[in-house]
Amino acid sequence: MRTATPGIERIFSWSSIDSKSRVVILVSLLLICTIPQSTGQETITGWGEVESWTDNDLNAAVIHGTNVWVFGDFGTVRYSEDNGATWHNHSALGNADLIAADSLDDSMAVLSADGIIHMMFGLDADWEKIDSGQSGINGIAVTGEQSVVIVGDKGAIWQYTDETWWNRTTTFNENLHDVAFNGDQDGLAVGDAGTILATNDGGATWDYRAAPDADSSIVSVSYFNPYRMFAVSDSGQILYSTSPGGFEWQLREIESMDYETTLATTLSSIEVVSSSRILFAGPDGYLGLSLDQGLNVERNILPAGVNTSFNDHAMFDYVVGIVVGDSGVILFTDRAGENEDIGFEIPDYNNFGEFVEYADDMLLAGFIATVKIVVFGILLGFTIGVILAMLKTAPTSFKNVLERYSTNQIRGLGAYCSVIGLWLLYTGVSRFPELQLEGLEYIFTPVGDPRGFAMFALGLAIVAISIQFILADKKLSGPLFKVRPLNSLATVYTDFFRNTPLIVQFMFIHFGLRLGMRIQQLMEGTFGDPGIDGIDYFFYGDRTFLSAIFTLGLNSGAYQCETIRGAISAIPSGQMEAGRSIGLTYLGTMRLVILPQAIRICIPPIGNEMVNLVLNSSLAMVIGYSELSRQGKLMIATTFQIFSAWGLVMISYFVVTWTLALILRRLEDTTRIPGLGISGGS
Amino acid sequence: MPEIVLSIRDLHKMYAGGVHAVRGVSFDVHEGESVAIIGSSGSGKSTVLRCINRLIEPTDGVIELRGEQINTPSADVNRVRSRIGMVFQSFELFAHLKVVDNVTLGLRHVRGMSKDEAEKVALEVLGRVDMLERVDAYPGNLSGGQKQRVAIARALAMMPEVILFDEPTSALDPELIGSVLQTIRGLADEGMTMVIVTHEINFARDVADRIVYLDHGQVAEEGPSSIINDPKTERLQKFLSSMHEDEVPEAIEKELVDGNTGYGYVPDGKGAGPRVR
Ligand SMILES: Nc1ncnc2c1ncn2[C@@H]1O[C@H](COP(=O)(O)OP(=O)(O)OP(=O)(O)O)[C@@H](O)[C@H]1O
Ligand SMILES: [Mg+2]
Repeated sequence: MRTATPGIERIFSWSSIDSKSRVVILVSLLLICTIPQSTGQETITGWGEVESWTDNDLNAAVIHGTNVWVFGDFGTVRYSEDNGATWHNHSALGNADLIAADSLDDSMAVLSADGIIHMMFGLDADWEKIDSGQSGINGIAVTGEQSVVIVGDKGAIWQYTDETWWNRTTTFNENLHDVAFNGDQDGLAVGDAGTILATNDGGATWDYRAAPDADSSIVSVSYFNPYRMFAVSDSGQILYSTSPGGFEWQLREIESMDYETTLATTLSSIEVVSSSRILFAGPDGYLGLSLDQGLNVERNILPAGVNTSFNDHAMFDYVVGIVVGDSGVILFTDRAGENEDIGFEIPDYNNFGEFVEYADDMLLAGFIATVKIVVFGILLGFTIGVILAMLKTAPTSFKNVLERYSTNQIRGLGAYCSVIGLWLLYTGVSRFPELQLEGLEYIFTPVGDPRGFAMFALGLAIVAISIQFILADKKLSGPLFKVRPLNSLATVYTDFFRNTPLIVQFMFIHFGLRLGMRIQQLMEGTFGDPGIDGIDYFFYGDRTFLSAIFTLGLNSGAYQCETIRGAISAIPSGQMEAGRSIGLTYLGTMRLVILPQAIRICIPPIGNEMVNLVLNSSLAMVIGYSELSRQGKLMIATTFQIFSAWGLVMISYFVVTWTLALILRRLEDTTRIPGLGISGGS
Repeated sequence: MPEIVLSIRDLHKMYAGGVHAVRGVSFDVHEGESVAIIGSSGSGKSTVLRCINRLIEPTDGVIELRGEQINTPSADVNRVRSRIGMVFQSFELFAHLKVVDNVTLGLRHVRGMSKDEAEKVALEVLGRVDMLERVDAYPGNLSGGQKQRVAIARALAMMPEVILFDEPTSALDPELIGSVLQTIRGLADEGMTMVIVTHEINFARDVADRIVYLDHGQVAEEGPSSIINDPKTERLQKFLSSMHEDEVPEAIEKELVDGNTGYGYVPDGKGAGPRVR
């Protein structure tokens, strides 16, 4: 008498909760377990200030060989031989301000405000002076030994090569602020009014590129590789181009700024250090880092007491380098300036909260991955199951097919086929290595060439069949004509899939047949590059995903086939006769009369197969598909929390199978035929 | 003489097991005529009927529908079947479809009618068999007699040139037989061309224009319905008298009328009785 006793028992009685709510409860439990715990956490700067021995503003920094050089006002020059940790004095290069610098291979060039270029050709060589005779020059790029390109106000572009200055100024006379080359041929120059100019012949000719914003003053550009070009404007915009030659430019909609197109700060320099990492610098102590090509930009924390304007970066690789700024500031980093979280240095995964904090993303990814292959696997498996079951029950024998032809036609067909068969036999045998029948191992010699052997076997079969065709009598009474070819095909298929281990099927299909790869290539050929996200990626971005779906579907289809076939044969034969007697075709009756009834009958056993499919999907880990079990293993690899990891994985599987079972039960209820069958209900 | 709708010439059927079930049966069915096939169990009545709409292939012989041979590999079997209606002993309604959908299925998928058109036709024929109240019921919830009337409606809806009945009442309780026979009689009166295999001798005599008596796979006697009262051959005489012996004794009949049923099923030698689920 549960209802008579009030209190806690009644409230928490599991059996009194209806099944829909039970799912909700279990799913929420899973979610609660995986919600990140809030934790005390502190962040410190990734930059350290180093002594530069000067108070002059430093304007440019450049890597030259293993050294790094900085240049500043009044000809100030400093260099470091240990990646920027300690600095040495160098005699001043003239007394004008040094405003920009660049290097390529062993050559380095520094631009001073009075139009003089100081150059060093070769490591540890002497400085040479070249006078450009120009004023108002803002940017410089080295394009080879003894050659540079400089840009300046009113669109000025000058190229120095063959010991001569060439005026390359174009008709676009906005002030140019920066120039950058990728190698010695491809270059970009940027400036006011959104000006972007590009060259592909080392700076001799320049073409205009449409700017995404004609009002921005582009102050710095980086030509990382032919697919990655970035620039920043003084109003904090990030521009990028991924088209070779920089033909199309776009403004980055910055995710971390709510998809605004500006960082809401002034920028002066951009440094691209890898295909995804970008460093930004600007006045007012702005340093920023993006790990994803500018989608998200995090502002760097600065060392205490530093609040200067930053002018230029020089990075050795994507982690080690310096940034220079006004008042002689040089900051050094060996972690790309990234803010460092402290407090989680050695996470205590024994604490369930911290374990979950680490593992929840992995678990969720695994959960989604499993659901993905399960859903598609079920659809594919069921389709294959229905088709196979129909093939297996098809009454079509060779006799049915051939009846309408005359005996002579059949004999002719036999003769034709026997020619094909003999040709296959001949070609197959000729592919065999010379038989040296000495010992047991040579018995298997023919298998040495699988294609030859396959041709041999196929040829033998075709010859055997065509002999019966040739010998056919009027009534087609030979044993061959009773054979039901569709049925045989389906039987071979199901026998094969039901008599080999699923784990081997996974490996054979993925690594042996390379089915996933082939499908992916086919899809790429039809629909193009899948990219890294979006619907294309979902469907064919991941080979293991494709292989997993097909393995699960093909395997499950073989099992479901038998179940569905059983259900079809449970339908009284009179139903087929009734369908045919009103003029429906065999397939029409199957589709409209037999299958609708048969599938209703086999929902419970098919449900079992589908649950099996979910559980079997865990084997997809052997081909490297990151479903739940594999994620569980990965979780353990870093956390060593075996109990919690496998526990969460198990609950996740339970949620999937249980929801599936529930859906099937609901389906069974809603499709029940009134007045038919004793089913009692769920 | 009206046109010959169906003509059977020297029909033979040898089953796979070696049973020579039909041995040279010939008869004609004329436009608007109802022919009753009678004969003892196992005499090949069902076999003849099933050969006619090619549910089984005859071993030999010619079957013509309006002068056109239909038992050749080149004849379009689906078209032939849609011109010949068939009513089965065990109803064979489509269990997953409502009454009205049972009737519209063929109209929509064979005749290519739209859903609305098909439903109009279906309601009309369901009216003719007096099943209008139960159009939305599922077959599982109908009585045997109602099921058989729906099956007749399903055959009728296709507007067949001839309807074949294979013992339409032998799976029914005695008190349900009446309504089905009434329906068939109505069709006969409307001039429907029909071939009826039946054990109801009285019904055959009252409704059929002609009787074909089969014995051991051969036509032993053929003639107008009067031959039942006045059989020419000894074999038919014997058959008819055995039928009278078979008639339900009065005591049991009383029980049946009182409602203790379950007797109305006559085995047909194939074991295809009413299915109890
Ligand atoms: N599929 C089959 N395979 C082999 N023999 C069969 C088959 N169907 C029927 N027969 C045999 O053919 C003969 C005629 O059968 P049929 O069903 O035509 O008889 P019937 O006149 O309809 O009998 P009933 O009045 O009992 O229905 C019987 O001897 C029967 O056993
Ligand atoms: Mg029969």
